[in-house]
Amino acid sequence: MKKHTRRSFIKTASAASLAFGATPLLAAKTDRKYRTALIGSGWWGMNILREALAAGRSTAVALADPSSDALEISAEEITDLSGDKPRTYQDYREMFAREKIDIAIVATPDHWHALTTIAALDAGAHVFVEKPTGHTVKESRAMVNAARRNGKVVQVGLHRRIGPHHVSGMEFLRSGKVGDIGMVRCFVNYGGGVEKPTPNSRIPKGMDWELYCGPSALRPFNRRIHPGGWRNFMDYGNGTIGDWGVHWLDQVLWWSEEKHPKRVFSTGGRPVRGEAVNDGQAQTSDAPDSQAATFEFEDFTCTWENRRFGGHNSEKHNVGCYFYGSNGTFHMGWRDGWTFYPNKRGAKEVHADPQFDNVKDGHNMTPLWADFISAIESGKDPVCEIEASHRSSVLPMLANLSLKIGRSVEWDGEKELIRHDPEANKLLRRQYRGSWEYPEA
Amino acid sequence: MSFAWPAGGPKALWNAAVGTGFSSLAIADGRVFTMGNEGDRDFVRCLDANTGKLIWKQGYDCPLDPNLFEGGPTSTPTVAGDRVYTISRLGQVHCLGAADGEILWSRDLAAGDELSSPGWGYAGSPVIHGKLVLLNVGESGMALDKATGETVWQSEPEEAGYSSPVVFQHAGRDLGVFSSGKYFSAVDLASGERVWSHRWLTRYGMNACDPLIDGDLIFITSGYGKGCALVKHAAEEPEELWKGKALRSQLTVPVKLGGFVYGIDGDENAREPSLKCVSFATGEEQWAEAGVGFGSLIAAGDKLIVLSAKGELITGQATAQGWKELGRAEVLKGKCWTPPALAEGRLYCRNAFGDVVCLDLRSPRS
Repeated sequence: MKKHTRRSFIKTASAASLAFGATPLLAAKTDRKYRTALIGSGWWGMNILREALAAGRSTAVALADPSSDALEISAEEITDLSGDKPRTYQDYREMFAREKIDIAIVATPDHWHALTTIAALDAGAHVFVEKPTGHTVKESRAMVNAARRNGKVVQVGLHRRIGPHHVSGMEFLRSGKVGDIGMVRCFVNYGGGVEKPTPNSRIPKGMDWELYCGPSALRPFNRRIHPGGWRNFMDYGNGTIGDWGVHWLDQVLWWSEEKHPKRVFSTGGRPVRGEAVNDGQAQTSDAPDSQAATFEFEDFTCTWENRRFGGHNSEKHNVGCYFYGSNGTFHMGWRDGWTFYPNKRGAKEVHADPQFDNVKDGHNMTPLWADFISAIESGKDPVCEIEASHRSSVLPMLANLSLKIGRSVEWDGEKELIRHDPEANKLLRRQYRGSWEYPEA
Repeated sequence: MSFAWPAGGPKALWNAAVGTGFSSLAIADGRVFTMGNEGDRDFVRCLDANTGKLIWKQGYDCPLDPNLFEGGPTSTPTVAGDRVYTISRLGQVHCLGAADGEILWSRDLAAGDELSSPGWGYAGSPVIHGKLVLLNVGESGMALDKATGETVWQSEPEEAGYSSPVVFQHAGRDLGVFSSGKYFSAVDLASGERVWSHRWLTRYGMNACDPLIDGDLIFITSGYGKGCALVKHAAEEPEELWKGKALRSQLTVPVKLGGFVYGIDGDENAREPSLKCVSFATGEEQWAEAGVGFGSLIAAGDKLIVLSAKGELITGQATAQGWKELGRAEVLKGKCWTPPALAEGRLYCRNAFGDVVCLDLRSPRS
């Protein structure tokens, strides 16, 4: 059994702290361990919990997941890793009723983010919730309200606000070296072709599929949904714009310090993957295979585009943001770091390599988690605090809303309403299934 | 054979295209047998081992079914005498004449909807044992009559694992080890009676590595952080002699040389998959070689031949003391998860697209 030490995360935490003024972890007054629970004990949730354990400030006390297999595997892994013996629950409500939890990690599909996060906050826990905040706008606002009324810290998994090359890239953008920026283009592009329907199959033993679907539609079980495919089912996720887009649109709000777009338009479809199928025998995913969205801001235009066909062999970068300014173009990327392409003749490109805690994953979870603990202990806001993260999450939600309704929407960000369009406003929330209640803001 | 070579790598004797999939290559009587999917049809192909020319191909409808990977067949044809036995991801079993590919019998195990196929379909290759075709289907295997395809025995319709059956003898009994999504089981091959089941729960039910059996000792491993263990066979309850994390093999069947197991530790998308040497008797890690990452491997005498997931062929001398690399060359482009096959000094490699290359590893003097 490995004994976990604080290793290199201390360095990155300090770097982040200096950048954001939060109290460095080294100055923490106690060695208190937080009773930590994980809701959504699959691949990504376990990644976050492992980070938490490695940081040395958590004891894993409980796991919640609709799949008893996932619970058993994850609990065993945690015990082997740290000696902790987390109790396992299929229903998170039972978990909160029985356990005293200081920190809850929410790593469920999007449709479960709101209810679990609010339950955790009302039970007195701080929350680390994955992005995007919620599945529809009003439930996401309800999450913000729950955080405020309970006085708890919420960190959202928009780790690109703390990733070192994002921080240095943002400094470069703000330095004026790119000039006046009038447009930002965000994108992710993949290759791919038609999607054939996958036959529905028997619910795996031990999976409470009714609970998995929860407040959303009860689809027949299909291995395209689980494991790993729910992001492309609009019942459970928000497509590529909700999964990937939110990260890059968040970079735009971070850079501009804008709060709300004035108007949003989106179009897209499945011209290549083919019409979505859900016919009782088989299913395909139903998220668009291509989507374009425009966000009007006061002083600039922001666009989003994603494709699941065509690849990107004609372009250098397959993901990120291009900031177009009077001095040139700045690309904020993932594994390609950031690059400034100046207009001026003879001027050299400026580039920063990506820096990750581990190159393979390409994420920044270690400093994000450290910042979370730091925020809990210092009282200062975490770097991805819930209000700002909610506003970033609203962008893909509005785009999907515009796509669904077939027209642009004028957004009143202060009131969180769409102007002149009662039909559109209905889509800011949705009907929960059965006895699950949509959380009102 | 020669395990080191000049720049440019070992000589490629021929190339072939066999369709999308992860089927390895079976070589018998100067012929190469493999499977691949083209246009939602599986094709079993027979190629000339010397020239790569197609001798015959036989197809049947079967969806490509890409699902977080390229799709296509994941098991390998088994050749026994003048017959070839195959199983598709959907559970379509075929017995073909080795000479001409004629379908002698076939079974569609999924028809009737009784079976619960594992999430990514059947991957265990058929194993011929006496009159039986052993398949990893159901909770602890299935046996068909190799002459007719009729079911001789079967197990509960739970999700099978992804490994191939492995046969061993103990106290005069012929036994087979089958993986399900949650167990490794030992089955009496004469009767189909399950002798024992050892719980081994792996994420996504991915028990994909064939166990390594030495006498009555069974080495098992799986990925997603699970680990490895040594289980001692017994008449009723097997004994787990040790369990550890030194080797967590997701897809790659490890090899045993002497008292040591060599395998790939770490998932394909993990931090740093590496070649590892682990003691068979104790599970203790001897060394890890990060320079050899995710891939598949086979043993050739006392050497290891690794085909990396990126299509690099890496050879080396592996002992408990350490790894000494002998040769390295790119032999294929594209994803290579399928272990290569070595026969008479020739190494046959394929990638997910179905590109096959036959490499000459024979020493110049021979």
